[in-house]
Amino acid sequence: MNEGSGKPLPLDGLRVIDVATFLGGPYAAAILGEFGAEILKVEHPVSGDPMRRFGRATKRHDATLAWLSEARNKKSVTIDLRKPRGVELFVKLVSKSDVLIENFRPGTLEGWGLTWEVLSGANPGLVMLRVSGYGQTGPYRRRTGFAHIAHAIGGLSYLAGFPGETPVVPGTAPLGDYVSSLYGAIGILLALRHKEHTGEGQVIDVGICESVFRLMDELATAYGLFGKIREREGSGSFVAVPHGHFRTKDEKWVAIACTTDKMFERFADAMGQPELASSHLYGPQRQRLKARDEVNRIVNEWTASLTRDEVMRRCIDKEVPVGKLNSIADIFEDEHFKARKNLITIDEEGLGPVVVPNVVPILSETPGSVRNLGPPLGNATYEVMRELLEISAAEIASLRQQKVI
Amino acid sequence: MTEERKEHLPLTGIRVIDVATVIAAPYCATILGEFGADVLKVEHPIGGDLARHFGTPTSRGDTLTWMSEARNKRSVTVDLHRPEGVDIFKRLIAKTDVLCENFRPGTLEKWGLGWEVLREINPGLVMLRVSGYGQTGPYKDRPGFARIAHAVGGLAYLAGMPKGTPVTPGSTTLGDYLSGLFGCVGVLLALRYKEKTGRGQYVDTALYESVFRCTEELAPAYAMYGEVRERHGPHIETACPYGHFPTKDGRWIAIACTTDKLFARLAEAMGRPELASTGLYGEQKTRLDNRHEVNEIVRDWCGSHTRDEVLALCNDANAPAGPLNNIADIFGDRQFHARRNLVAIDDPSLGETLIVPSVLPRMSRTPGRIAHLGPKLGEHTEEVLKDLLGLGDGEIAELRSHRVI
Repeated sequence: MNEGSGKPLPLDGLRVIDVATFLGGPYAAAILGEFGAEILKVEHPVSGDPMRRFGRATKRHDATLAWLSEARNKKSVTIDLRKPRGVELFVKLVSKSDVLIENFRPGTLEGWGLTWEVLSGANPGLVMLRVSGYGQTGPYRRRTGFAHIAHAIGGLSYLAGFPGETPVVPGTAPLGDYVSSLYGAIGILLALRHKEHTGEGQVIDVGICESVFRLMDELATAYGLFGKIREREGSGSFVAVPHGHFRTKDEKWVAIACTTDKMFERFADAMGQPELASSHLYGPQRQRLKARDEVNRIVNEWTASLTRDEVMRRCIDKEVPVGKLNSIADIFEDEHFKARKNLITIDEEGLGPVVVPNVVPILSETPGSVRNLGPPLGNATYEVMRELLEISAAEIASLRQQKVI
Repeated sequence: MTEERKEHLPLTGIRVIDVATVIAAPYCATILGEFGADVLKVEHPIGGDLARHFGTPTSRGDTLTWMSEARNKRSVTVDLHRPEGVDIFKRLIAKTDVLCENFRPGTLEKWGLGWEVLREINPGLVMLRVSGYGQTGPYKDRPGFARIAHAVGGLAYLAGMPKGTPVTPGSTTLGDYLSGLFGCVGVLLALRYKEKTGRGQYVDTALYESVFRCTEELAPAYAMYGEVRERHGPHIETACPYGHFPTKDGRWIAIACTTDKLFARLAEAMGRPELASTGLYGEQKTRLDNRHEVNEIVRDWCGSHTRDEVLALCNDANAPAGPLNNIADIFGDRQFHARRNLVAIDDPSLGETLIVPSVLPRMSRTPGRIAHLGPKLGEHTEEVLKDLLGLGDGEIAELRSHRVI
């Protein structure tokens, strides 16, 4: 953990309200928090963010591991937006903040009277990130959207799996939440820049589906020009051979990626079969693509004759792009993850040490930090009401009693 | 446009040098360019960026990925293996705000263009360094590609049928895009810090850690409970029903019931609301304990309807479902049309119209733009060397004849 070294961070002095749930949107707030912003997680007074209950439970009844990790650096403030008094408090809070992040189904905030007009009326420089499954516009905007659905709509899930077989989850269920949050964080940082130049705020409208779709390299362009529909490719890729996952003698897996002829030449060397890279055999990519099954068979035979460590060693010696298919147990053992401090341990009261992924990206002058894990529900409600909104202690008690906060 | 309209975007006036290759760091530069930055793509005079050759070629030779992802960039050829080239590069750096690179660590240093040297030339420089394993740690010198990063970062291990061959998580370039996104967040943070303090810095982004950062509670769950997550095919471990289900017409649908409320809506859509009663499968825990049975019920239901019927029923009941779109489906999808997620751009050098993914994120006041697609190699060398560095025709001719540019 970084102690408060007093070193300025890029987002010092910035206040962000995160009234969103789960990860698509909240992760953008987590990034801003890592780099110095104050994050007020506004939650329902009784249930809080459902992320608190999603995933592996802990001894703390209001926190799963996913919550602890991804609500890092946030403070929790409870406000019931279904009550008019709650809406009033919220608008007041918005008037004292720089950024608002939400991911309700489009129309929900408006239903509570929290339209852009009202919010920007309270704060003309407001930067508002809106994340939803399908975005704020279009015929599907009101549909329930999750990353899993967005992976399907965005074209990613169709491509994960073996040809003609069941499409699988593309590795992790919330990928689209992370991706849409990254787009959201970029939008916020751009909008803050514009605001500082002009005083004008604006809305960033991010659909999870379109965020996933944006990552699909030439998929759209190739269909547009040639009518080519990409299909599932198992562990391979249409652009290069060998480029896939191969099983080793000890029943483990390695990834090998020979994207260029030069790399294949090195790989043939590593396999002790340099002749494979000759121009009349498999030297040119075009020929390897044509003889895909044969090339993959040769590679499979070779990897199956050696342990994973031995395959790794021989490939690394020849500078062939290779990597272990790490399970999380492998990752915890990996010396590179250790050297880069990709995992950090934080002592959480009542839970003991909790290991979470460290901040990405790494900045040389102003590194981000994890100061606290996901907060208990409402841990900053009093502080925010009293100090920021200057509400008297008596009134706070009454708001609590009426379950507004 | 006849009317002279001064474009004001968040990054108007920012100059970016993109000396990187393929997609990872270049995608960061792409985003910066979409939002107003002047992006100079510095390439080797012979062959240029590898992205021009990797994938499906156009009639011009450059690939579709190049045409789409090098949007808005100006191509300037400089051979950094030559001292004269290094000199030109340094002079460009003096007039630049951001540098994006993704050579193997040590490469720029070998050419005398390490961080210390560049910072001396331009103390406010923001430098994005993307590499397979980052700038530090024991594997830093290994070649890295997204395929390898998916493996090392723990994503590939989780994609596939239980105990089956791990598959590509939908796309081989995910890690490149993710690193570009994380890199872009870092660059925007660093620019902000620079504008406050005058101090530049570098952003160190590794492909594998960008991937690993998106694995939610994988690491905390292993640390706390020793749980090694395995492949679950189309499903996940923490929610049910959640997965991909085949429909009567041989297509696939994604369904994600992450909460009891969502399952109740699905049961409604299936015309069997009783399934969501507490005596049956109303609670997530019961559904997880009986996952095979629950999945079987959903599979039977999906299998007795066409994809469009399943979708219509789910949408009517607000149950989270979506089609597994292939690219042809996406081109026909009303939501993609309404959101203009695909734009057709006439490219004069091809004499053809290319359809490319449009700009993300969507900003209300300062929307990004695609002024043109990927430039021809060296298309802007002369104008940049003249306008920016004040070189004369004679000097340029001489540099050309020596193949420095």
